[in-house]
Amino acid sequence: MALHLNLLHEEFQEQRQRQRDPLKIGMMVLGGLGALMFLYYMWNAYQTLGIRSRLNAVQSDWSKLEPQVTAAQKRSAELNSIIGTTKVLDGMIDGRFFWAPFLEKLSHCVALNAQLTSVDGTVLEENRGVNVLIEGLAAGREPRSAAEELRQLLLEQLSQSYHEVKVEFKTLEDLDTLVKIGGANMPTARFSLSATFNPNAVVKPAPAAPRKPKP
Amino acid sequence: MKINLSKDQIQKLALSTIGFVVLVYVYFSFFLGPLNKSRASMLTSIKDLQFKVGNSKNEMTKAANLEKQASAATSRYAALTNLSPEGAPIAWFPPRMRIFFSNQKIDKSTARLENNVPYKEADLAGWMRYNWVLDLPQTDFTTLGKALAELENNEPLLSINKINIHSLPVDPQFQQVNLAVATAILKR
Repeated sequence: MALHLNLLHEEFQEQRQRQRDPLKIGMMVLGGLGALMFLYYMWNAYQTLGIRSRLNAVQSDWSKLEPQVTAAQKRSAELNSIIGTTKVLDGMIDGRFFWAPFLEKLSHCVALNAQLTSVDGTVLEENRGVNVLIEGLAAGREPRSAAEELRQLLLEQLSQSYHEVKVEFKTLEDLDTLVKIGGANMPTARFSLSATFNPNAVVKPAPAAPRKPKP
Repeated sequence: MKINLSKDQIQKLALSTIGFVVLVYVYFSFFLGPLNKSRASMLTSIKDLQFKVGNSKNEMTKAANLEKQASAATSRYAALTNLSPEGAPIAWFPPRMRIFFSNQKIDKSTARLENNVPYKEADLAGWMRYNWVLDLPQTDFTTLGKALAELENNEPLLSINKINIHSLPVDPQFQQVNLAVATAILKR
């Protein structure tokens, strides 16, 4: 066996020492890690750029849409307000009491032997009805009967159109004055009638029928 | 295997470790952290905007449907607002009533403003209630009845709250009439 002599032993050891240098190894590891981190960062940055471009697209869509949406919201609010106002106004219009039909009915009730001297009517607040005070004169053999006929006729006429009708005498007094009707002198009476009624009565719910016991 | 490190090597190793820690800190604090933060905020913005876009499309569809449904109400509202001309009501309402009653053959009518009050209803915030007294010094019952029927039909926003009819002492076939009326008038 040939003898192998290493005459460069010290040089080899120095070279091995240089290769095992921890700082060099550390720097290489750091460099490797740095490279990996840089790649990871670049990948993330690329993804972020994609997200940014998506955001820009959505923002541009929104900037196009926003004025239209604002206008639509404004118009919706305006329309809702118009609908609400019209509804309330229609309610007011429909809830009015019409005096012309009432006066027509009143004129139909006044016979030739009666005369009205005043009519004072008031629509009560919050749909609580209508109150009318009618004053006049009635003439005839029995002037009180003539006034009563007017009262009954008025009650009948008003009951056809209105609810909760009440027609009552407030005063009824004979007068000394005589009037000529059909060539004959007739005594007269002064009357004052109070008529109250509700033009828009609320329908009361019918009481529930008692349940029959089950057989 | 036992590694024998010299003092110099230990120093270099410690230096490498410190370098590694600094690198990690700088990487996460100044590079990856802000990037992730901005990405998260952008994703939130996208989500918000997409939600807004989706909602706005619904909103616009609703508005278009409402426009169709409200066509009757808008035309009715326009007709009702046209009943309130420009200008102060005291300037145009009394002449309008005088002309109306003149056309009904009731002359010398006058209209006085009693007061004006806002409505309690929130929907009528743009409207005012004007209370007037109309005096008709001389008319007969039939003419009055026809005139009132015409007035109630032509002026939907007018309601007669009180009516006083008194026969004239000198000529009982004629009556003197006072009407307390309320009108809803648009604020201009």
